[in-house]
Formats: sequence, C-alpha cells, structure tokens
Amino acid sequence: MKTTNRILRAGTMLATALVMTLGVAASAKADTTLTVWDWKSGDPTTTPYYDKVKADFEAAHPGVTVKFVMQPHDQYYTLLGTAIAASQGPDVVLVHGGSQAKERIPAFSKLDDKVADLKARVAGWDEFAGADGSVYAVPISIQGLAVYYNKELYKKAGLDPEVTPKTWAELDAICAKLKAAGTTCFALGNKEGYGADFFYSAAAANALTAEQQAAWTTGDLKWSSPEIKAIVQKWVDTQKDGWYAEGANSTAKFMDEYQSFERSENANTIGLLSDVAHWKEFDEFLEPQNVGVYVLPPVSGGDGKLRMPLAGGIGYAVTKFSPNQDLAAELAKSFAATPAMQVFFESAGAVPSDTAVDTSKVESPSAKVVLGSLSDGAPLLHNNTSTAETEEWHRQSQMLFTGETTVDKAVARLDEVQAQAKKK
Amino acid sequence: MTETVIAKDSKSAATPRRKSGGHNAERLAYLFVLPALALVVVFRIIPLIWGLGYSFTDYDGMSQPRFVGFDNYIGIAHDPVFLDSLVNMLILLATLPIWIGLPLVLAILIHQGVPGGKIFRAVYFFPAVLSSVIVGAIFNVLLRYDGSFNLFLKAMGFSAVDWLGNSSTALFSLIAVQLWSTFGMSLLIFIAGLSTVSSEMLEAAKLDGAKLLQMWWHIVIPSIRPIIEFAAVVTTIGMLTSMFGLIYVLTAGGPGTSTILPEFLIWLEQGKMNRPGYASAISMVLFLMMAGLAAIQIRIMSRNADI
Repeated sequence: MKTTNRILRAGTMLATALVMTLGVAASAKADTTLTVWDWKSGDPTTTPYYDKVKADFEAAHPGVTVKFVMQPHDQYYTLLGTAIAASQGPDVVLVHGGSQAKERIPAFSKLDDKVADLKARVAGWDEFAGADGSVYAVPISIQGLAVYYNKELYKKAGLDPEVTPKTWAELDAICAKLKAAGTTCFALGNKEGYGADFFYSAAAANALTAEQQAAWTTGDLKWSSPEIKAIVQKWVDTQKDGWYAEGANSTAKFMDEYQSFERSENANTIGLLSDVAHWKEFDEFLEPQNVGVYVLPPVSGGDGKLRMPLAGGIGYAVTKFSPNQDLAAELAKSFAATPAMQVFFESAGAVPSDTAVDTSKVESPSAKVVLGSLSDGAPLLHNNTSTAETEEWHRQSQMLFTGETTVDKAVARLDEVQAQAKKK
Repeated sequence: MTETVIAKDSKSAATPRRKSGGHNAERLAYLFVLPALALVVVFRIIPLIWGLGYSFTDYDGMSQPRFVGFDNYIGIAHDPVFLDSLVNMLILLATLPIWIGLPLVLAILIHQGVPGGKIFRAVYFFPAVLSSVIVGAIFNVLLRYDGSFNLFLKAMGFSAVDWLGNSSTALFSLIAVQLWSTFGMSLLIFIAGLSTVSSEMLEAAKLDGAKLLQMWWHIVIPSIRPIIEFAAVVTTIGMLTSMFGLIYVLTAGGPGTSTILPEFLIWLEQGKMNRPGYASAISMVLFLMMAGLAAIQIRIMSRNADI
C-alpha cells in the first residue's frame, strides 16, 4: 500500500513538472507581443492598412504578435506621457512630426543604423530628427495645409471656380464677393485653438524666407517681428471683415468645422493633405468635381511662388523601454513598406511618405493638385513652434477674437513664452 | 479571611480576562481599519509625498528629475495663466451660496409635501448619476452657437449668445451646468437632514402663530445647520476638484484663460506641456488651498457644534 502511494505521489509530481515545463516552454516560444499605440488603427478607412502591416509582419516573424492599441486622439499625448514616465507600455508608438515628436525624443530609440535602407525611398525624415541630426521615427505620411473650396458656392457668388487667389488681395476680393452673396467665406473652428494654428502656419509658409523659417525654429524670429505680427493682425482683420461664421471660439475644428464645410455652409476651409479633413473626405461629401484646392497666399512678403506647406506627417518611433528593440525597429520600418503604403494611400487617401507608391490612378482633381505639389513644398511653421508657444497662441487667438487683448499685447506675451521655451 | 482571599482572587482573575478581551477587540478594530488605511496610504499619502518631491524638480516625464529648489513655486507666482485660474476659482467659490441655497430651498419644499415631490426628487437627482463627459456632450449641443438655446432665443426675438465662446459667459455657463448636474446630491442630503427636525417643535410654533418663513428661519435651518455645513464642505471640495470633465468637453479652458481652473491647469502642464514637476507644484498649491478652506469650514462647524 505504502509503495503504491509512493508511486502515485511520484507520478503526480512528475506529471505536474512535465506540464509546467511544457507550458513554460510553449509560452516562451509562442510569444513575443509587440504593442503599438496609435490613434488610427480603429478607423475604418485605415483598418486595411493596419491589417496589411500586421499580416505581413507576423508572416515574416513567426511567433511574434502585433497588437494595436488605439488611444483617443485628444488624450493621446497625455497617455503617452504617462507610459513614458512609468517606462512601460508600448514598444512602438505613432507620433506627429515636428514638436510633438521632437519634445519626446529622450524617450525614443535612435534608428539611424536601422533605417539606412529606407532613407532614399521614404520622405519626411526632418520632422522626426533630433537636434543631433539622428532619426527617431519612421515617417509614414506627408502632411500639410491646403485651402479646399466649394466650387458650387464660388459659382453662385459669380466667381470663376477655376481661378484661385495668388495674392492676399485677391483672396480678400473673393471673400468680399462671397460675403455679398450671403456665403460665409471660411469655415473656422477655434475651440481648442487649432483654427488659429492652421491659419498662422499656412499664412507664414510662403511669407517667410528659408532663413526666417530657420530663425523661427531657433527662437530668433520673434512673434513681434513684422512678418509674424502681420499674420496675427490678419487673424484679427479677417474676423472683423466677416470671413467666419459667429461662434468660432466654441466650434471644434475636428470635426465641426469640416462638417459645416461638407454641408456647404461656407466656401473655404484650411484642411490637411493626409488622412483626415482632406481631399478624399471632401470629395465624398461634395463630389470630386466640386472640390478645389489652393495654397493660402502670404499675408506679406514671399517671392511670388506659392508652395504647398508640407512636411513629414506622422511616424512610428520605438520606445527606449521596449524590451524588444530590434523587433520593434523592424516593425516601425514595416509601416513604411511599399505594399502597405499603397493600401494606406488607396483606403485612407493618406499622402504616403513612400515615394514608390503608385498614385497615378487617382482621379480626384484636388488630389492631383496635392500630389503634384509634393516635390517643392514650403515648411510648416507650427511644426517648429514649441508646445508652450502653441498653447499660448491658442489662448491669445481666442482673446483676439473676443477683444480682450490687442495684437501688440498678444505678440508681447507670445515673445515671453517663446523666450522661455527656447531659453533666449 | 477566606472570603476576602476568594474575592481578591476572583477580582484578580477577572481583570486580566477583561483586559485581554479589550486588547483583542482593539486589535480586531485595527484589522478592520487596515484595508482602508492601506488604500489611503498607497493611493493618497504616498503619491502626495511623491508629488511634493517632484514639485521641487524640473521633471519632464522622460529625463532624470533635477532638483530646482523653489523655482517651480516662484514660476507659479508669476504665471499669468495660473493667476487667472485663481481668479476663476474665486469666482466659482463666490457662487457657493447658490450651490447650497438652491437645493436647500427645493429640499424644504419637497419635505413640506409639494404635489409630485417624489417625482421632483428623482428628477433632480437623476443628473447626479451621469458622468460629467455625458453632461458636457449634452450641453455642448444645447449651448453651441447654433445650438438649441440660441435657436430658442432667436425664436423669442433675442440675439444669439456665444455661451461657451465668450469670456464673459463661458465660466458662468460651466458653473450653471455643473450646478445642474450635481445639486441633486445636496438635495438628498438636505431631505435626509430635514427628516430629523422635531415635528413637535414645528407644531408648537404653528400653534403659537408662527408663519411658514419664520418656521423655516428660526426652527428648520438652525436644526439642520450641521448638515448645511457638511454640504458646504463637500460641495466646496467638489467645486475645486470635479469640474475637469466639463471644462475638457465644453470649453477646453477657453476662450483665453476664462474657464481654466487650477485642476485643469495641472492637466495642461502635465499632459500637454510635459512638465510634471511644474504640475506637481500647482497641485501642492491647490492642495494647501483646499486643506485651508476645509480647515476653516470644519472649525466653524465645530464651533457651532459647541454652541
């Protein structure tokens, strides 16, 4: 009896040990999961792109699972900040190019030696580069600002819908004519201050020289400089001239402003080139032949040539705390693989960072203008503005509309914030 | 002699038993309190101490924190956005009498047995169970420039008002929405308090010819004064810590700084500006202000209790 018990006990222990060993071995082999944070993977227009990236990557890396976690866009950087502070969470993260990426570079891994083979094919690296010139994210889109307009409303106001303004004076005349016809010239949502962001960045793109743009980035070109102050003044003047509907300060840019444009309640809107609030979206609501696009003329200055303001849009970075650095870098690169980028362009209408994507079959007239302008763009000023200045500009732009401040006071305050942010 | 010894023995035997039972009960009490105490220590006290530590650093959430002494506190004292948020907070606090008076009057009316009192009680309490984001979304539709309120105003021949986009109306709109969504809780507290008012005293007053308002003023309100004071403390803390959701959804702090309260500014600095160190310093200042306010209110309550 004793012997039987002993045998049973030993057998049970052996079986348990075997099961545990097999379980541990299986789980160790199964599975490296790479977690990706973004704000786009659940969007129906981008789902095919993400499905393609996941399928291709997992096929090429057996035993690796890619897990997308879509975060709400308006809280994205708060959540990312918490993850970074805790040094745990995603392996790969989506970030906006420019200040949003650059201010978080200490939390991202340097990718120079890993993306060398992509450099020639993919565009938009500058917006994801650190002060040392190294690259910290792989761009997947080109983003920019363009004015989209409703040709039907132009016709109703007696305007030639194929003639777009080349100077601020011409734009002024168009708005005056639209206003006379009872049409609001521009859709504007400035509840969060984004309307003001788009305005100054689009207006500055062709007004500043390359040297002035560089001086802005370093903080040497002040808000109170004649060039920038003229733009701030125009922000006020355009409101006084009745370019916008009432209630801009309580209208959200995403998406109340654009929905009002899509309902033909106003004739123009400053939109984006990629992903959202762009040609593909407006084409769906207004019909492609009714959507036009042009570059916002400079308030002052410029060389007479109108370049589309554009830059690297969004890109994927690898977090320093990811335990799977090499795999994560591979995954970041796979977001810019040409077959996936092709899907991104076709399903979401995103302007891809990958220059090898075939865009020749696109039929939308406004998309053709956008795609035709990519080879010679102007810098996006707001990409090189610190977050502190941006937040202050949001507040000042609203107070300029309510009349609580003046242009002089606003630029003086913005100078202070700029000096603080850029330590001048 | 023998009896005395027995008595002594029985006393000496009984005392340690009682003491041991007392100790056990005491230990058991500590055991029951322990989970709550652990939660308070882990989720309140330790983060508070960490926050205090961070408030003396330039921590940006990514790099190693560097000790900067009182720089953050000096920065706060000169930060126009923070100073504006304090002014907004004072305006908000100045409306406290409405936050107490409105539910108190309605509670008295319901307690007096107005027709449909039970329905009113349910209706008034209903918004209190909604999350602030849902309340914000509802009022976003109602208060926007082309929203229902303005359509109604226009139909009545008045001009539309940009309730949330105008600095002179945005904060008051927020306060009104928050009041609407939370006063049901104070109402319930007051109704519960009113049920403790002596009906004999009210009857006696009525027989003596006291009018309704006199009865309210001289009997009802003094009787429930501790309840009113309790509601005032809870409401004040709620006003300073529970407005974030509404601000976020309805105004995003604007226009300008007109609806930024310290709690929203803490989020802005931490979440958007990547300055947890600076945000911690604002948190500490807000904590001290709230602790001071609560201490004053509790002191008043204790003094009245002594009376």
